[in-house]
Amino acid sequence: MSQEESPQLAGHAMKRTVGAVLELSGATLLQEGAALPPLPLTMRLMPGECMVIETRDMGRATMFADLCAGMLDLRAGTVRFLGLDWSALGDRRANALRGRIGRITRRPNWSGLFGAHMQMMLKELHHTNRSIEDLTAEAVRLGERFGLPGIPVDAPGRLSDADLARMTCVRGFLGKPRLLLLEDPLETTAVDLSTPFLESLTEARDRGASVIWFGRTSSTWREYRRAVTSQWRLADDGLLTVRIR
Amino acid sequence: MSDDQPDTPPTDGGSQRDGEAFAGTAGGAARPDEECVAHYARDDSQPNENTLSGKIRVFLAFIGSVTRHRVWFLLIMLGTIWGVLHESVRPNTWRRTVRYEFRTTLGEVAGGGLVATLVTGTLTGLGGVSQAIYWLGFAGMSKMTGSLLVTVIVREIAPILVGVLMLGRSGMLALTELGMLTTGGQVKSMQAEGVDPFLLLVLPRTLAFTVSGFTLGILFSVASLATGYVVSRASGAISNSIWSFFYDVVTAMTPADYILIPLKFIVVGFLVGLGCCVSGLTASSEDTVSTMLPRGFSRGMLIVMAVSVLFSLKL
Repeated sequence: MSQEESPQLAGHAMKRTVGAVLELSGATLLQEGAALPPLPLTMRLMPGECMVIETRDMGRATMFADLCAGMLDLRAGTVRFLGLDWSALGDRRANALRGRIGRITRRPNWSGLFGAHMQMMLKELHHTNRSIEDLTAEAVRLGERFGLPGIPVDAPGRLSDADLARMTCVRGFLGKPRLLLLEDPLETTAVDLSTPFLESLTEARDRGASVIWFGRTSSTWREYRRAVTSQWRLADDGLLTVRIR
Repeated sequence: MSDDQPDTPPTDGGSQRDGEAFAGTAGGAARPDEECVAHYARDDSQPNENTLSGKIRVFLAFIGSVTRHRVWFLLIMLGTIWGVLHESVRPNTWRRTVRYEFRTTLGEVAGGGLVATLVTGTLTGLGGVSQAIYWLGFAGMSKMTGSLLVTVIVREIAPILVGVLMLGRSGMLALTELGMLTTGGQVKSMQAEGVDPFLLLVLPRTLAFTVSGFTLGILFSVASLATGYVVSRASGAISNSIWSFFYDVVTAMTPADYILIPLKFIVVGFLVGLGCCVSGLTASSEDTVSTMLPRGFSRGMLIVMAVSVLFSLKL
């Protein structure tokens, strides 16, 4: 097993893959006045499923993704990932579990702290013992798929927006995550990444990963609608299911 | 402290209920959500200021808030000191990202600050050590040269100057970096990937500062003493060899000095590094470089001076 931390946790998570990957049961935020409404949120995501959540406010999507990743305190209800209740986990175990989530976020996530290559692989470098060669090979494969000629080693500030968007996608899919929380990267980029993005999405789902795809409109995921398992809308009145047309 | 009980309604305001207290200030019927906001706003510190007890409450609230604001950083420092010491002995902490950050910071602080430290040590030797040797010889107290240099240069001046150098050269950089990451949201993104910023940034940087504090402190002491000897020898103030000079210095040190002087360098480095990292990570969304840097610098100076004074009292 390549996971460096908490083998029991990994073992437990593996046993639970038959159940829901992510489960929100009446999860109500503790924080008042946040972007997410303080209403009970309930949903379940099984392995390989792809859920599309439409929301006008992408800040709300980021917060919902944080909620799924166990980063927000709850007033009531539970959020379970791989059968484990976030609120029952200590910091170390929760961080280890977050290492199994791939995220593409609108929040700024590139800094001048490390080189772009290191930031792209930071999660895997931090949470696993995978060899550098193995990691690099996977990053190169994903990078080539998204149109990068290799792994950029410059500081992220020196890279173009298009390259950063490509790297954000690579970062999200790297390391075979069990859950993907994707704040639609296709909406904001000038380059067309839809084909490699959908290819990576399908590959991840075939592997058993579950996906939550946040989008402002249906135009970005329309091509993929036949493969979408369920569609929801996140608004002021909570999380509502929408019939797929 | 009065503001420890924000929910306590004023007892001297007659029979006003919570809602009534706001109806007057809101100037009419408020919507439920506005009432809710007003409720919290009033709970903070809005007693009736016209009465004596109201004035006392406001005064106590002011003292309490200032005290808590001042003690807040100290408490965070105490907690993170324990956190760094506790986490640093866990093998699982030293994963490759943490090791990489430790190596990088060590290179920047110790390697990057080497020349500045040697130059400062040399200047201190030119000014301080040579003058001390000259005037002690002039007063016929040459035998005290070793003990005086140990007390003044190695024990007192070196930790302060090395601490200030580390603070200005590397500490402010660390503070700015972490502060900008915090206010920019990148720290939150790290947490979303399960990467604990304390583990990845605070712990290795603090320990790198610790090692650098010791290294630079020793180099500073050697540089200042050696330069002082060279200048004094050149000016004819002393005539013995450099080995004899250093022998005098070494023999003037007590057994406690061999523990406390390195410990002082280590503690200065540790606290300067930790203080800068904590100041950066606790920056609020309203903070900018122009607010973070002066605050961080004054905290750092306070740390350096406090360590120096505390150790001097013990010595």
